[in-house]
Amino acid sequence: MSYVRTAPEAILPAPVVARPSLAASLFGDAASSLATVFITLVALAALPHLFAWAVTNGVWVGDGEACRDAGACWAFLRAKTPFILFGIYPEDERWRPMVAVGIFVVLTIWSLPRKHWTRATLFGWIAGIVAALLLMGGKTIGLTEVPTSAWGGLPITILLTVLSLALGFPAAVLLALGRRSPHPALRWLSTGFIELVRGLPLLSMLFVASIMVPLLLPDGVTIDNLFRALVALTFSAAAYLAEVVRGGLQGVPRGQEEAARALGLSWAQAMRLVVLPQAIRNVIPPLTNTVVVIVKNTSLVLVVGLFDLLSAGRVALSDPDWPAPYAETYLMIALIYFTICYAFARYALHLERTLGQVRR
Amino acid sequence: MSAITLSGVHKWYGDYHALRNVDLDIAPGERIVICGPSGSGKSTLIRCINGLESHDQGRIAIGDEEVREDARALQRVRIRVGMVFQSFNLFPHLTIVENCMLAPVRVGEASPAEARERAHALLDRVRIGDQKDKYPGQLSGGQQQRAAIARALCMRPEIMLFDEPTSALDAEMVKEVLDIMTALASDGMTMLCVTHEMGFAREVADRVVFMDAGQIVEIGEPTAFFSAPKHDRARAFLGQLIH
Repeated sequence: MSYVRTAPEAILPAPVVARPSLAASLFGDAASSLATVFITLVALAALPHLFAWAVTNGVWVGDGEACRDAGACWAFLRAKTPFILFGIYPEDERWRPMVAVGIFVVLTIWSLPRKHWTRATLFGWIAGIVAALLLMGGKTIGLTEVPTSAWGGLPITILLTVLSLALGFPAAVLLALGRRSPHPALRWLSTGFIELVRGLPLLSMLFVASIMVPLLLPDGVTIDNLFRALVALTFSAAAYLAEVVRGGLQGVPRGQEEAARALGLSWAQAMRLVVLPQAIRNVIPPLTNTVVVIVKNTSLVLVVGLFDLLSAGRVALSDPDWPAPYAETYLMIALIYFTICYAFARYALHLERTLGQVRR
Repeated sequence: MSAITLSGVHKWYGDYHALRNVDLDIAPGERIVICGPSGSGKSTLIRCINGLESHDQGRIAIGDEEVREDARALQRVRIRVGMVFQSFNLFPHLTIVENCMLAPVRVGEASPAEARERAHALLDRVRIGDQKDKYPGQLSGGQQQRAAIARALCMRPEIMLFDEPTSALDAEMVKEVLDIMTALASDGMTMLCVTHEMGFAREVADRVVFMDAGQIVEIGEPTAFFSAPKHDRARAFLGQLIH
């Protein structure tokens, strides 16, 4: 054997490693074949019933009578969708919540590309939220007044989600920084807030906000129920997001802040321009997780009498003219939540891939 | 006036006495190499000079600007003093040119166009002008350290501090960084380098400062220091090095 090469060795192509095919993963060995056959049989057994319920016996047009003793009552959704989407908002004024939802849809789509992440877009969001609130309320801009207790459905869900995240995220960043602060008072305050809010069930906070707070206020002073629910949701969002952000901050090496400070940047600049952008990039997956939970948590406001999507759906079901098709109604509401959450998750994955490319 | 003055500087980490009564005067344009065994306080010393660590007793001044715990005073000091780290500490989420532009725009009040022009010139000078739009992670260690030097120079400092700038580099990349530092020294920059590169010290330094256990135990011109170290600890230290 010779150890030292006198002539250069040839550069060879890498050996081909076959990736397992779909067929192999379904029927590769006895166990997977068995699992495949079993799952297929279960699906085949269930599908005809589902098909019969949803399609063959499904009622697509008609009224409550037509739905009696039939399959899926899609006709109910046809009749009740406007109510589920907009709640008890006066029917003649429904264009207002529609425009409000439209504002949020347009703003969201506009904000997707990274090059639109500018100060102008931020102001656009603030203006959009204010416009939606004014439009829904109506009084300030000379339309018929609709009190927040009559707002309902999708606009409530969107407003609570957007506002609790928009207010909760900056608060979360401050709480996370506070919890790592060398100043004891700041640290204790932040830690106390986070642990307290995290330790309380959101439901109990909503009850406290909607029932206890009015009792504690002096006579004549009232705070809008919607606003009180928003405060509870924002607190909860801030506490959970703060811990995620703190995790991200721990992943940024100390040298990053030192380098920024050594260049003359102030502490706030070092955080805003150097440390936080890296910290947040590091925690996009858990951040997505928390945000999706927050979106769905807004449905809990039904316990304090607010008409979000879910509670509007329940009210629609109480109509005695119809045979109360729960499954169909909840399927539709579930589909709306799923669409929002799934779209957000895909977008976050896209961000993770494009922003996460740059690694140390 | 001295570029850097340290008089009677003490520093403790908890009960550990990290700097013990350090006095040092550095003239404008002077090149100082600080060496010594690990844990002798070299890094602590230069980190006190730009206030990344605070000293507990004594006085440190950059020209007539005292280094003290005051946000504005510290910022004035840091604008005048550039620093290069062992682990480069480039900002991984910004491109090389953005790394260089950040502080001039945010702190130095340069316009973005002005800062970009300055960054390009300095990146050319450290010979990575063609890498300017890449991210730090796409560069070799030597290129990253040269980018970090350019980033510090973009603030037009009067003084440059180097904290073991070549210790994290592969042998092949050490020279390219040292060449840049040598060029900087010949341009008259006041430099304070913590380094184990004795060849660099011999060639570039005006004075070599040897530290042991938090004290300066010997200061001398490189030829004198390397040929005839006076202090026992310095003799033992130099004996360990492979030349």
